[in-house]
Amino acid sequence: MSDPVKEHVLVWDIPTRIFHWTIVVLVALSWFSADQGSMRVHLWSGLTLLALLLFRVLWGLFGSTTARFADFLHPPRKVVAYLRGQEMALYAGHNPAGGWMVAVMIGVLLAQALTGLFSNDGLHFTGPLALWVSDDVSTRVTGLHGTIFNIILVLVWLHVVAVGFYLLVKNHNLVAAMFTGRKHSRHVPAGLNLSFTRLSNALLLLGLTAVIAAWVFFQGVP
Amino acid sequence: MSDLTSDDLLAEYLKVQAQTRRQFVGWGAGGLGALFMNSAMAAPPQPHAVPSALNFARDPATPLSVLPPQFAAKVKRVIYLHMGGSPSQLDLFDYKPVLKRFHGHDCPQSFLAGKRFAFIQGVPKLLGPMFPFHQAGKSGAWISDRLPHLEKQVDDLCIIKSMTTDQFNHAPAQLLVHTGDPRLGHASLGSWITYGLGSENQNLPGFIVLISNGGTTANAGKPLWGSGFLPSVYQGVPCRSASEPVLYLQNSPSVTRPERRQVLDAVEEINRENFKTFGNPETVTRIAQYEMAFRMQLEASDAMDIKKEPAKVLERYGAEPGKTSYANNCLVARRLAERGVRFIQLYHWGWDSHGTPVDEGVNVGLVKRCKETDQPTAALLADLKQRGLLEDTLVIWGGEFGRTPMWENRGGQEMEFIGRDHHPSCFTLFMAGGGIKHGISHGETDEMGYSIVRNPVEVRDLHATMLYLLGFDYRKLNYPYQGLDQKLTGVKPARIVSEILA
Amino acid sequence: MSAPAYAACVALVTALGLGFAAWAHPAFLHSSLQNLGLEKAPRAMPGSFYITRIAPLFETRCVSCHGNTRAKGQLRLDSFAAAMRGGKDGTVIVPGDPGASELFHRISLPVSDDKAMPPSGKSPLTADEVTVIRLWIAAGASGEMRTIKGAPKPVLEVRIPESDPAAVQKQRAPLAAAVTQLQARFPGVIIYESRNSADLEVDASLKGAAFGDADLAALMPLKTRITRADFSGTSITDASAPALAAMTALTRLRLARTQVTNKTIGSLASLMTLKSVSLIDTKVSDAALAPLRQRGVLVYGGGNE
Repeated sequence: MSDPVKEHVLVWDIPTRIFHWTIVVLVALSWFSADQGSMRVHLWSGLTLLALLLFRVLWGLFGSTTARFADFLHPPRKVVAYLRGQEMALYAGHNPAGGWMVAVMIGVLLAQALTGLFSNDGLHFTGPLALWVSDDVSTRVTGLHGTIFNIILVLVWLHVVAVGFYLLVKNHNLVAAMFTGRKHSRHVPAGLNLSFTRLSNALLLLGLTAVIAAWVFFQGVP
Repeated sequence: MSDLTSDDLLAEYLKVQAQTRRQFVGWGAGGLGALFMNSAMAAPPQPHAVPSALNFARDPATPLSVLPPQFAAKVKRVIYLHMGGSPSQLDLFDYKPVLKRFHGHDCPQSFLAGKRFAFIQGVPKLLGPMFPFHQAGKSGAWISDRLPHLEKQVDDLCIIKSMTTDQFNHAPAQLLVHTGDPRLGHASLGSWITYGLGSENQNLPGFIVLISNGGTTANAGKPLWGSGFLPSVYQGVPCRSASEPVLYLQNSPSVTRPERRQVLDAVEEINRENFKTFGNPETVTRIAQYEMAFRMQLEASDAMDIKKEPAKVLERYGAEPGKTSYANNCLVARRLAERGVRFIQLYHWGWDSHGTPVDEGVNVGLVKRCKETDQPTAALLADLKQRGLLEDTLVIWGGEFGRTPMWENRGGQEMEFIGRDHHPSCFTLFMAGGGIKHGISHGETDEMGYSIVRNPVEVRDLHATMLYLLGFDYRKLNYPYQGLDQKLTGVKPARIVSEILA
Repeated sequence: MSAPAYAACVALVTALGLGFAAWAHPAFLHSSLQNLGLEKAPRAMPGSFYITRIAPLFETRCVSCHGNTRAKGQLRLDSFAAAMRGGKDGTVIVPGDPGASELFHRISLPVSDDKAMPPSGKSPLTADEVTVIRLWIAAGASGEMRTIKGAPKPVLEVRIPESDPAAVQKQRAPLAAAVTQLQARFPGVIIYESRNSADLEVDASLKGAAFGDADLAALMPLKTRITRADFSGTSITDASAPALAAMTALTRLRLARTQVTNKTIGSLASLMTLKSVSLIDTKVSDAALAPLRQRGVLVYGGGNE
């Protein structure tokens, strides 16, 4: 048990890790750019987010074991049991609570990206799909875009608090795992059999979602 | 198409057979457009039945039939007294004592930087008011001593001192005032209003034009009372207060009225045949126009005949039967108003006071124009008021732009006579009649009379206000043309001048 | 670290974060407190200068961006409390000091300035609007003060009367048949006052002598709907007096150049809505007109003309 490589087991594939940290950067960038009124940057950041989120949904269906929704979405009973500490099983990927956190986060971010497409700032900027709907609808969607942002802030805070809890209380560094992709073997179930989807498939899916985002962009180009 | 009978098909076939190339070309571009519409909508073009927010559809045989306004109107008719060439507001209504103090000084650079004038070059001198001003009436409005008669009616006036335009040459500025657009091809005020409301008197045109000071004519010509894109039946009809009121209207001495009737009946039959073949509603309009002309032979002569007025009335106006004068036209205007004519347009030319020839001097020509118009204008206002007609008539007096507070120096030279250049930034116009406040001044220019400092009124605002008084939302009085719901006020936002509404 | 200790740490950090947010964006703090009912929101009094002059101005010129749906810069101007709270960079209105008020500063910048409000592309406030805001802030930005000396008069925008074709049709329905029939009998004489109205205007003046007492009597089915009538120059006589007196909605009556006499005038006394009457070139005497004049009816002609 002294071989560090043997001690750490690979659980997160590269696409999932890159996705996670790009999202962190893009959410921050979107916040900052909207705050500064740099709507050009905000648009690109939002469209990239959209492509990545769509990719993540596909990756949750066709990706590696730990990236799949089927792997980390557990029935509510199990989640409650886990939160109460009655569940002692180990999870290679997301635990039952974290899994739902991920799903909610993806859903909310996706909602934010989509509402953004239909928004306008009443002055010089309109989302690429804002002309598909009436002025009135666009204005209301813009309001929604602002509300969802507050929800995101709360979710991010919850997420950070939970990760901190694992790190400081349970002595389980999830942050490092999201960088290296590896968890200490004591945190993963024994006899693990994870499959990893090929990187080329990830690029294929990403290409597909990028095309969708590009199409959306060109809807807004007169 | 399935319920077409063989008769219909035969008629259609004959119609197509009858359409020669000459007619096709004769219809011109409009005909081509109409043909397209024809094939697109499978119905003949209906210039009098057009889709728009408000329905102005009429029987083509009575294109001038009366339609109610959109909402309760304050006035039923308009008398527009246009002072062609543009009188100097600074010498008549807009009193500027500070400008008087600086009379003869060089014009400040701030007035000239970036500005373009019709004739002024270099640095002109400031020109103070040429005549003494005083306050008149209960309202205390300032007025110059050139308008001693109008002064007595000053409490009936709503004087707008903050009119502004963006045209600094006569023709486009006159077009803007009369058609809402500085370019040719738009419908004039009277056309819009007769299109919207029709004419109360079916024996007279709904829109009559009276012109005085014969030597000079309108810079913009007949389009000032043209119907533009509206059907031609709504154009203004120029009438004269001397000899024959309408040229070519009377029968020649050898033709009796019954004979004329016979000719008209024959012409009408031919026209009806033509309409049956081609289905062009303008043909029906033409028949209606001939009929109106026949009725006008009696009615117009009577309306224009100011000899029928008592001597004291003629004297009040300064009218002399048999002459062509502004005074006669004012009296005729009142007679036409009584007879239900919708829009009475007077033109009096010769107000262009540059100071080049003697008649264009502020100190000479302007004085003459004032003499010609002051008494009749005042008499018209007093007469309308006394007869109760001012309650539902709107009278508008004004030029097409203002005049500079600077002494014109054409070619950088001092002029022989005192003159002022064109000044679009501000001018004065007055209104009187139903629905507006009287005895007030609206808007304000700076101490030099150079630019507006309070409540500017664009020409389109004036038009919007006029239409409001006549019972129309200026956005709703439309005619579809060239893919746009055309409006008198054009596409820029206009404002009804609420401050002057009673 | 124990779980309770961690919980305490999280609570502390959360509190610090919220505290910082409240310090950096006081508007956020006050809005939250006011929404939770922990702080009394300042309110403007009905009829105050704020309600009558400032609020409508904010409403038409600012609220589309600084309102409920889109609070740009977290500034809302759709209520007195929100306006006084300010935006994410603090208060924008300093009572008594327009110069120190960001709101006033922004609206008085030249249009070309990046920070000018309303931003480029929207029409700037008029000089009068800027003055009204300046005077209001200078006078203490109060929600109670009713008038402010020297404030330019408010600009009234004309409201075009709404049209409701269905309602108009319903109003017209009872007399529609009679109107159509009489319009056919007297072409051009009877017209609806407007497209919005069931009231009628009658102008028989162009018929001249061809229009007489019998014709006027024929209009009786419409008597309560006629608001304006012009019988000038017609051949009607005093025989029409009862018919005229029955037109109870009349506001304007023209009887110039007719044979009517004082007798007709006497029966007009019952027309309570009458505002003006023309009797030019008639044999009506001043004495007969006195009661009408006393009532404030405008009388044209009559008497010793």
